[in-house]
This record gives sequence, C-alpha cells and structure tokens, in this order.
Amino acid sequence: MKFSSIVLTTMLLLAAGCDRKGGEGESDEIVLQHRLRAKVQSLDAANIGDTISHGVASEIFDCLYTYHYLKRPYLIVPQLAAQMPEVSEDGLTYTIRIKEGVRFADDECFAGGKGRELKASDFVFAWKRIADVKALSKNWWVFDDKIAGLDEFREYTQTSKKDEVDYSRPVEGLTAADDYTLVIKLKRAWPQILYVLTYLPTAPAAKEAVDYYGKDLINHPVGTGAFKLKIWHRGSYIEMVRNPNFREELYPSEGTEGDAEAGLLRDAGKRMPFVDRIVWRIVPEDQPRWLMFEQGDIDITSIPKDNYGQAIAMGRELTASMKERNIRLDAFKEPDTFYIGFNMEDPVLGVNKPLRLAISCAFDREKWIELFYNGRGDVAYGFIPPCMPGYDPNVKEGSRTEYNPEKAKRLLEQAREINGGELPEFKLTMQGTDTTYRQMGQFLSRSLQEIGLDVEMEYLDWPTYLEKLRTKGVQIYQSGWIADYPDVENFLQIFYSKRSPWPNSSNYSNPEYDGLVEQAALMEDSPQRTQLYRKAERIVMEDAPCAFMFHRIFYVMYHDWVGNFKPNAYRPDSFGYGLSKYYRVDVAKRAAYHKKYK
Amino acid sequence: MTAYIIRRLLYTIPIVFGVLLLTFVLFTLVGGDISLEIAGKNATPETIEEIREEYGFNKPLFLSWDSQFINHFKSALTFDFGRALDREPVLDKIKRGVGPSLALTVPMFFGVVIISVSLALVVAFVRGTVWDMLVVLICVAGMSIPYLSFILFGQYFLAYKWGLFPVFFSPDLAMASYVALPVLIGIVTGLGGNLRFYRTVMLDEMRNDYVRTAFAKGLNTRRVLFKHVLKNAMIPIITRVVLAIPFLFLGSLLLERFFGIPGLGYLMVEAIGSRDYFVINAMTYISAILFVIFNVITDICYALVDPRVSFD
Repeated sequence: MKFSSIVLTTMLLLAAGCDRKGGEGESDEIVLQHRLRAKVQSLDAANIGDTISHGVASEIFDCLYTYHYLKRPYLIVPQLAAQMPEVSEDGLTYTIRIKEGVRFADDECFAGGKGRELKASDFVFAWKRIADVKALSKNWWVFDDKIAGLDEFREYTQTSKKDEVDYSRPVEGLTAADDYTLVIKLKRAWPQILYVLTYLPTAPAAKEAVDYYGKDLINHPVGTGAFKLKIWHRGSYIEMVRNPNFREELYPSEGTEGDAEAGLLRDAGKRMPFVDRIVWRIVPEDQPRWLMFEQGDIDITSIPKDNYGQAIAMGRELTASMKERNIRLDAFKEPDTFYIGFNMEDPVLGVNKPLRLAISCAFDREKWIELFYNGRGDVAYGFIPPCMPGYDPNVKEGSRTEYNPEKAKRLLEQAREINGGELPEFKLTMQGTDTTYRQMGQFLSRSLQEIGLDVEMEYLDWPTYLEKLRTKGVQIYQSGWIADYPDVENFLQIFYSKRSPWPNSSNYSNPEYDGLVEQAALMEDSPQRTQLYRKAERIVMEDAPCAFMFHRIFYVMYHDWVGNFKPNAYRPDSFGYGLSKYYRVDVAKRAAYHKKYK
Repeated sequence: MTAYIIRRLLYTIPIVFGVLLLTFVLFTLVGGDISLEIAGKNATPETIEEIREEYGFNKPLFLSWDSQFINHFKSALTFDFGRALDREPVLDKIKRGVGPSLALTVPMFFGVVIISVSLALVVAFVRGTVWDMLVVLICVAGMSIPYLSFILFGQYFLAYKWGLFPVFFSPDLAMASYVALPVLIGIVTGLGGNLRFYRTVMLDEMRNDYVRTAFAKGLNTRRVLFKHVLKNAMIPIITRVVLAIPFLFLGSLLLERFFGIPGLGYLMVEAIGSRDYFVINAMTYISAILFVIFNVITDICYALVDPRVSFD
C-alpha cells in the first residue's frame, strides 16, 4: 500500500470517528462557559477541601443557608432551611425547619432512579459521615469539639471496622425531630455556626448514594442543587445540566444601592436557573485561556499576568479594545493571604527559627506582586487580610515580613549553628505545573539561592499537592487561604494545632495560640474578640511557621452577554460556587460577538 | 514467511515476561510500599491495612497462586488493570484517551514521514545547490526554535488572529477540527530533524554506482529517485519509521496541554504527577507490548524490502 493510500485511509477513519456533537449554535440550549485552571479533586461534598472542587461542586449541592446574592454587607439567608434557626436562650440549641418538597436529583442510586425528598435525617447522616474517621473527610475541623456527642461518635468510628460503622447510633446533639426539623445541640456557644451552615461540606447527603457508590462517590455527586453532573472527563472538561428536580427558587427582588441601575434586578422574582448547561473546560495555560476569552469561548475570566497590558490601561481601567468588545471589569480586594509555609514537623525547619526567618527575608514581595500579579496585590504582614473586619492596621510593626538578603545571610549563620553544621538541601513544593507556577518557582528558588540555600523545586498538580499537604509530605510549600466566610475565625484555623494537617498544613502548634482561638470561638463579634484575634496573629508572626507573602486584589472580566453578574469576595473567581444559577446568558449577543471576533 | 512470523512472535513471549517482571520489581520492590504512599505519613495502621487489603498488597509477593506477582501477570494478560487512584477503571481512562491521542499523532506521523522523505529525495538530488543549502538552513533553524514557540505562535496567529482553527478543545467540536492545528504544528516541528536524517540517507544512496548507471542508461529522474534510490534507502527509513509507531500511543504532552486534547500524553504525565502507580503500570506495559510488536513488524519489513534479509 502506498503512503498516499495509507494517509487517505487514516483520514477516512478519522472522519468516521469524528462525531460532531450538537453545539449551542445548533439548538436552543443556553450554555454558560466556564474555565478552570486546575483539575477537580473530588465531587463528594464531605470530602472537599480545595477551592477548585468547592467551586464546581457548589453548583450541585445546596446547604441550609447561603449569602444573599445581591445584598452587601454579606447577609445570610435560608437556602434549604425554611427560615432562620430558632436559637435557645442559652445559645446552645438550634432548631432548623427544612423546606418541604425539596428533592435530590434523579440518580440510579434511588429506587426507580427518581430522586427522593430531602429530609432532616440527610443532614444528620452527612455530618456523621464527616465525623467518621473511616470516611477520611477533610472537614472534621468544622465540627470538632462543637456538637454534643459528635466527638464521641468519631471515637466510636475509630474502633469499629470500615463499612461496619453504625450511622443509626444516636448522637445527642444531632437529631431529626421529624422529617423537616433538624435540632443541633452545641457543647458550648458557637456564634459562627451560621457561617458554617453555608459551607459546602455541610450539605446534606443521601445515604442511598453513599451506599450505592461507596468510594466511587467522588465521581457521582447526588445533590439538591440547580445543576447535576452529566460528564466529568478528568483533566479535560466537566459538563453539568439543569437539574429537573430543582425546587422553585426565585431570583432576589431586593439588592444593594445601585443594583437596580446596574440591571441586577431585571430578573427579580423569576425562577432560576437561567441557563440549561454549564461547561467547565480545564485550561491550565494562560495563553489559550486568554485567547478563548477574547474569542468569546469563555464567559468569565481573571486576567493572566502576560495579558494584563492588553486588558487594563493606565488608571486601572479597561483598554479601548476591551471596551469596544463590551467586556466588563470588576475589581475587589479578596479576603485571602498567600504565604510560603514551613512544615513545622520537619526535623530541620521546625526547630530552627532563624532558618525560617532567613527564608522569609529572602523574598522580595513587591517584585513578586509586580512580576506575577502586575501589581494587583498588597504585601502581607500577617494572616488577617486588610479587607476583613478584625484587620490590624498596625500589623506592620512586629511583622517578620521584610526583604533583606543581608539580614537573611546573617540569620543563616545562626541557623547553621543550631543545625550543627551545613544546612541540607530543601524541597519547595509548588501547587501547580503550568508555566506561571514554574516561573514563580524559579523566582523563589533563585531568591533562596542568593542567600546561600540549596533548594530542589517540586511542581505538583493541584489534587496531588493537596494530598501531599494532607499526608504531611511537604517541607517548604507555596500556599494560601481564601476566607470561606466573613469572620477572621476562619483564618485562625490554619494555625490551630487541632487542625493539623488540614487546614493547618504547617502543622504548627503553640498552646498559647490555641488557648486564644478556643477563647475567641465562644465569643460574639466584639472589640474584645478582635483583640484576641490580633493577639493570636502576633504569636504566629513571632513564631514564623510561614513567610507571609501577599493579599490579592482580584480583577474579574466578563462579557456583556452574561447578565446578573455580581462578584462575591467569598466566592473566589466567580466561576461557580452556586452562583451560576443567577447568571443569565444572552445567546444572541454571544453569537453576534462570535461573528465579529471569531 | 508464516513460520518466520510465528517464530518472531514466540520470541516476544520471554520479552513480555521480562517487561512484566521488571515493572513488578520496579513498582513493588524498588519503589517501596505503595500503600504507605497512598495512605500518607499520618495514616493509622488500620488505614494502611485497609489499603493493602483493597489493592492486594497484603498478599505474598511470589510463592502462591494468589501472589502479587501472579496477579500482576493476570491483570496484564487480561488487560484488567483495576482502578486508578481516583477510582476510575484504568482501562476506561486509556480507552477514552487513545482516540484523541491517535487522532493527533497518526496524521502527524504520516505527514512528517511523507513530506520529509519526499523532500529529502528532492534535496538530495539537488545537493550542493542554493536550494539544498536553504532547506538545510531552514531545517537547522526549525530544530533550534523551541517547540513551545511553535505552539504559542501557531495558536496565536493561525487560530486566534486568522481564525483558521479553534484555539482550544471543546466538547461540542468534532475531533478533526480541534486536532487540525496541533497536527500541523507537530508536522512543522517534526520536519527539521527528519528531513536532515533522510537527506543524509538519500545522499549516501545517491553516491552509489547503480544510480550513476541508471542515469547513464537514460532513465528519467523520477524513476531513478522513487524506484531505485528510495527502495534501496528503505532499511534505515523503516527502522526509524516503524519503531516510532509505538510512541504514537503515548500522545504528545505539550500539544495536548496547550490545545486541551484529552489524550494519553496528558494522562501519563498526570499519573506521574499524582503518583498513580496503577495508570503508570498499565501505560508502561501497553507501550512495551506495542514496542515489541512493532519490532517484529520492522523485522518482517526488512525481509520484504531487502532480498538479502531472508525469512529463514
């Protein structure tokens, strides 16, 4: 057979295998086009601990409460709950009525494949599952030492065999009084509980799904949210479709000042969701992601560092070409802190404070922010972000954040004395493998080499990185924390010894700090509580279990065909987090844009 | 010929056995306890034991019918590679990735071979002229430019600026549509090295007496080049071409990553990144089997094109 015939045969085979699927242009379907920078690790709500999986899974699962979509400051409103909880006088008992008629999405785990009605017992089951040691949930920290009898249940699961954990075993503080009433009894006052009830891992779970799928549950999410999973092609894309069982939930009729003028109340009182399908494509590299956005193949995006100049002009406004394309911009300070963490259980790093301080002094944070974020960030001096209530305006005093290579070299001499000789080579783990993470890695390793430290870089994909943190397998690592809810208490968890290794991945332990966290956890928001937070922050700053780097200023861009878009600082990136049901997509506008620019 | 093929296939049995033994030794004995790696440093002994039970790491290594070694063999021979760390069956992952990977690498492979062999013949014929030097110069330049630059350039100009191709994979697009540009980039980047190699092979052949004789007898250029020179240059071409085929299965990491093609290159790198031994093991085994098979095909092709190589 000649080459030309071989090529022809190959082409024919290829063409025969290429099945063109129906795209948006060929049907009336309204599709929202999202993008992800990294892979999703899990879609089992109880076992999610990272922002990527969290953002995606929040479209499938609903919680008891959520934040009002439009109102600012952030206001908690019922979602699966019928109303706000009834709280006993002593603040220890919460009685929560659950909406009637809410159904799980249809799934083969249910009898006849039809999703059954949500009951209060589904919350009890879900939370016991988080407590179950054998279920290996990343989110036990949420309930640890909070609900009466739940810690004892956890101890019981430790002694029982896997698959033999008795979930009908009563837990004093967690009961379903009837099908629609959940009663929570706390060990002690816990004013932040309402925030936690908006947090994805507290979503209800259907026991049928857990029993039917077993360990495969991470691939088969069964929730009560507006969308359900259709395809999850790991490493490539995720497709969700409208959940036909989704309850009647209406777009809010009230907002904040300016919302009506911005067109955010046009859909007031209309039934959600407004789109039929969501496609999340995983695009790890910056160039294709940006080009896809410019072509109109992605609806909402952040701005990659190399494309900042194309998007933003002087004065932090959109450039003329972006305005011509009717692209919109929103910028806000994110409630986050990024840092370089040290595993305090590492035999060299954990006992050598001068070494940790030397590493902290090696990084030029201003340059880092300029190089990798085009100046979109503030240097971090502590862990409380400047945009959060509780931020200490005097945090700079006493902070160990400074760029001083000479000081770093002097500190390294002390570090060598403590170590009893030359320091070994260290391993610095990065949370991504794309070009930008490699450039960041080069910056960090060069900074450390300049002060005389040998560093080996390790680039891991997101799920592997998280797994390494969970198993204490890192030495020095790049990390960050984005607030889950508007209370600094959330940030305190990342250094609380009982939360090691997750979210306390530096495995830091200081009894004085722990005491302050426990004391503050019982208090309502007050100046006294803020003082405790600040004191706790100072202790961490002094012990240096990490080198604080920066707080991000987030720029989000979206096309004008995405209606009802209002960013939420506690829902980073605006690429999911249960927000997609509010968005409206004007398909005609998108088609016109494609015609002009694609 | 049939006997020759059967004999060559029988030779592959000890090779496959060797591959299985090697992968078993590497992953089970040299690589350390996989269950500890999966469970992590802070896992309880019970958790580690559960993982051992689940993946069969608590079974004896060799001396039993239910040993890890025998099970390793069984799973390889039945192509039942179990489940990856993310719980998805390994074979499902491979089946899903093999289509996009081959759709990318097969046209790339044929494109590179056809263009570079044809051009090499022409360039060898006009050796020493400006055209020859120009082609060599372009080849060297092409080989010197980083692969990534071709990708970035192609994606920006051909896909984004001129709109000739899609910028990135989309589940709504036909496969031929989203692999077209990566295939083109793959061909362009592959031409430099291949063209230079084939040019050298052709030049060696062109210097032989039979070529001079053929021209002296009055045969036309096309007949001399494509009937005589090409046929005699087939041995090095076959060696290079056929042995490259098994690697087509592994896809192309950078092209897959930048164009979002859900292929096996991506799968393999992800598996290495996430220490997924089950996927790595399956991919290593399948690649090795393909390599062995195509080695046999190479030997058969030698015998077919060169009368000096006998089937006996």
